[in-house]
Amino acid sequence: MIAGGLALAPAGAFVLAALALFVIDAFSPGKTSGGVLAGVSAFGAVGALAASGVFLLSGAASGGIELFGGQLVVDGMSLLFTFIFGSVTALVAVASFDYVREMPHRAEYYMLILLAATGMSLMASANSLAVAFVSLELASLPSYALVAYLKGNRGSVEGGLKYFLIGALSSAILVYGISLVYASTGSLLLSDVADAAGEAAATYPGVFGTGVLMIIGGLAFKTASVPFHFWAPDAYEGAPAPVSAFLSSASKAAGFVLAFRILLVGFPIQSVVGAIDWVLVFQILAVLTMTIGNFAAATQERVKRMLAYSSIGHAGYVLIGLAALTGVGGASAGATVLGASMLHLLVYGFMNTGAFLFVALVEHWEIGRTFEDYNGLARQAPLACVAMTVFMFSLAGLPVGGGFVSKYYLFAGAVGAGVWWLALVGAINSALSLYYYSRVVKAMWIEEPIEGRTIAHYPTALYAAVLTAAVVTVFLLPGLVVFDGAAFDAAAALL
Amino acid sequence: MVLETVPVEYYMVLSAAVFCAGLFGVLTRRNALLFLMSVELLLNAANINLVVFAFYWGEITGQVFALFVIAIAAAEVAIGIGIILVLQRNFGDVDVTDATTLRW
Repeated sequence: MIAGGLALAPAGAFVLAALALFVIDAFSPGKTSGGVLAGVSAFGAVGALAASGVFLLSGAASGGIELFGGQLVVDGMSLLFTFIFGSVTALVAVASFDYVREMPHRAEYYMLILLAATGMSLMASANSLAVAFVSLELASLPSYALVAYLKGNRGSVEGGLKYFLIGALSSAILVYGISLVYASTGSLLLSDVADAAGEAAATYPGVFGTGVLMIIGGLAFKTASVPFHFWAPDAYEGAPAPVSAFLSSASKAAGFVLAFRILLVGFPIQSVVGAIDWVLVFQILAVLTMTIGNFAAATQERVKRMLAYSSIGHAGYVLIGLAALTGVGGASAGATVLGASMLHLLVYGFMNTGAFLFVALVEHWEIGRTFEDYNGLARQAPLACVAMTVFMFSLAGLPVGGGFVSKYYLFAGAVGAGVWWLALVGAINSALSLYYYSRVVKAMWIEEPIEGRTIAHYPTALYAAVLTAAVVTVFLLPGLVVFDGAAFDAAAALL
Repeated sequence: MVLETVPVEYYMVLSAAVFCAGLFGVLTRRNALLFLMSVELLLNAANINLVVFAFYWGEITGQVFALFVIAIAAAEVAIGIGIILVLQRNFGDVDVTDATTLRW
């Protein structure tokens, strides 16, 4: 057991690194060396990663530690997700060293990333609707600014604008949903909401059901699930590629952890089913999100946009974790499929971040964005292309990386919970996704190289980040076992 | 007290009306600044609910949360105005339908 305040050490590491950057940059504003900025950010992120990893694997927080009168809770799930945020932030901070090297406002860039990561780790611990909303905004507001970071670039500004407009609308819908739930239950604390939920669902089914549905809508925005996915392709394509990596991996995981906790702790399905059957809602969302994401990805001509749609498709796979909580097969079947969702987000944090960072590398070389521009790239940058091949095949679910194991758990878990048709839709979509992922691989390795393309230098930090992500992705194929127990225990604790 | 004479349902109707007005504005306005104002209406609709039901349930959580929402709305507007400023610099207008360089 760890002492109260120490349990928040992972979030504290993010905050301290952000504040340290404030102080460091105050000495000579705008002139601090990129190495110091990236180093402090990566140090803070690795601190968060190490602290959450140690707490998680040592079982120090098993059973959950409640802080601030139950407003925050540190348990297996929050630590597992903080571990994801820490690893993604560390990779992004290292990769950004090369990417933003020549750009103004670098210190602000790193600070915004760290503050968004703080918001995400608080989202993972939020145990009341008030904290959920405040931490969600703490994660969102820096993200809007980060997407529009290249302020002279039309794509970046447009992506930021669309992200902001849809984000502002969704957070307003979320807070209205919270107000309706408060109206019918009289509390914002998730455990108290759960106590009052059964009565509220019976007495005011309309108000309570609408409130829950609006909260689900607000969370669907954060996870880029259909029908709140419209911002995602534009924001991911327009944003600087490291920011796309950060948003599509960490920010999506943060949305999911919040959804898991609010729905499972605050609105237990057996007491709210009279007003709103959210399992059914998530079944519809999962099928739509998987199918629309994958079909749209298959029609893209630009690699980054393809990855953006594929990231929507992966949100669909993770939604199976909530959609399969039908009660068939008992609590253990539910814990298996929910734990599999968490594991998929963990693996996804590495393989998807790596894929977007490879795009960052290509953007750094300024050799174009379409599949054709990648032709024959393997002759000039073989090492990076091996890494990209690993990411693509792991995303598709082939057994070269952890993506295979987590998808296997997910689909097997869905079958075990009696929703075999969800697993079937998922498997069909995975097969389709192999088509567009292998297009990238084919372009890099098989097509003839483009004439006259030269790559002047190979940025060390970007390479380090891409290769680290690739090594971890491969390692997670046999090594996901390390996190298995923690994830399934965390899931079982919620059910 | 006011609430003893005005039933709580009336306040919900009021907040739903404000919410619908805001939603209508969000969906129809092309000017980014008017869009921001409409989002403020949406948030204030939620604030009405929070404050009324804090009184109804006889506790203070909802009122305090309404203050949080007001503060966050201000922060959100600050970010929004910044993005609208760069929108104006890049596209020469604050019309949200102008920014269409990224398409399917």
